[in-house]
Amino acid sequence: MITLETHTIDGRSIAMIALDRPDKRNALTPEMLVELNTAAKAASTDHDAIVLTGKGKAFCAGFDLALCQTTPDGSIMRKLLTGLSAACNTLRLSERPVVIAAQGAAIAGGCAILGGADIVVSNTNAKLGYPVTKIGVSPAVSAPYMTQSVTHGSARERLILPTLFSGTTAHKLGLVHELTEEPDDVQPRALEIAAKLAGKPPHAYAATKGLITKLEGDQRETRIKQGLETSLGLTGKDEEQRLLGALTF
Amino acid sequence: MPELATLTHEQSLSTLTLNRPDAHNALSRDMLRDAHVCMDELEAMDDKPSVLVVTGAGRSFCAGMDLKEVIIEDDPSIPLQLLESLARLTYRIRQFPAVTVARVNGAAIGGGCGMTTVCDISITHADAKLGFPEVDLGLCPAVVAPWLVRKIGPGKSRQVLLTGGLISGARAHELGIVTECADSRESLDETVTTVTSSLTSGGPDALRATKALLNTLDGSNDEAILLEAARLSAQVLATEDAQNRLKARRT
Repeated sequence: MITLETHTIDGRSIAMIALDRPDKRNALTPEMLVELNTAAKAASTDHDAIVLTGKGKAFCAGFDLALCQTTPDGSIMRKLLTGLSAACNTLRLSERPVVIAAQGAAIAGGCAILGGADIVVSNTNAKLGYPVTKIGVSPAVSAPYMTQSVTHGSARERLILPTLFSGTTAHKLGLVHELTEEPDDVQPRALEIAAKLAGKPPHAYAATKGLITKLEGDQRETRIKQGLETSLGLTGKDEEQRLLGALTF
Repeated sequence: MPELATLTHEQSLSTLTLNRPDAHNALSRDMLRDAHVCMDELEAMDDKPSVLVVTGAGRSFCAGMDLKEVIIEDDPSIPLQLLESLARLTYRIRQFPAVTVARVNGAAIGGGCGMTTVCDISITHADAKLGFPEVDLGLCPAVVAPWLVRKIGPGKSRQVLLTGGLISGARAHELGIVTECADSRESLDETVTTVTSSLTSGGPDALRATKALLNTLDGSNDEAILLEAARLSAQVLATEDAQNRLKARRT
């Protein structure tokens, strides 16, 4: 459910990794996140840049909640949260340019993945957000990544308010770096940006990206762990079971 | 029963109202004492609300420090008492394990604007006047600075705090000082209700856990820096320049 296409632009090899479950709006399963993690690691060695996108109209609708309901002890939710945190970290630590093409929708876990990108492209009317406290899930896992792209204040507002916002708003906040009018233009634009970044001297790019990560400070790993543990702390609990269990598909 | 700040409860939503409407809810030691009493009551509740709205009675949210208490007449320790009480109140609001929503019904100035930035979510309307005019009066907005930096980041905070003056609710929204901006005073409550009902319909444990993590990540658990800021602010306030400007403002 993860597919890889290689695009060669100006002699550079761009790995286009796609969440490939369009009939479910690319809803994430634990396997998909493991595959994504593996694909991103491999692409960092084998290609000059990475574009992550989703097949179909929506980049990603978040975790597969129907699947989560099948394990009331929260075991699938745990795997998803852990896999999400790991995939974000892999993308962040990749020495290559990482561009995410988030067309249409990037919701909950799908919005959290944006934290792994150097550059995010979306469209003006795309729907983004973290509406997960209403199902008893804490979006804390995203917080350490999100606070690297937007202010602590915006992260607080957007993680606490369980409402969606537009691509235009996300661009204003700094969560999205470039906007297109049409959702269909998002992927081509992301490829263009990736090709441009792949043309930069790779050592300088890697060193600069590494420095930005280093500037996050000694507490970086601790914060990522705290975020994941906060989200894991609620899985399988009464509140989550009650609210998640009440969802119908 | 405290009178200068009051508390009401409606299911999982509580409201803390600054209640000195004749003085535009200016921050006096007595009003802050009553607000602390309200916080005592909230903290002692077994069944805590999941959302706490902070607002002002009348047409203003909070006009900032009460001039009567910051112009030094007999007792030079009064401004520091006021500033320390404000610093502690902001800390208690940030620590309270519910989502805090500032309903900025009107003017929110200086320390009053600080009271909005400490809340997790803040909602105002286009015509409200907000801002940090401290530098214009020769004062240092030290107590509110840590909260503003956490809200809008260090770069924009420099711009806002060093420029001083007042801005409209619409401009405050652009700068990120408020989360939502209703078109008019009349439509404020509709926007507030939309936000609070989406919050109360969700999972309170998830909200509490998320807020606690965010407090850890952004340094909100550091009370010492607020008390240090209160002392700095009191020092600047006691200078002749500041006192002269404040006296000119009174007359």
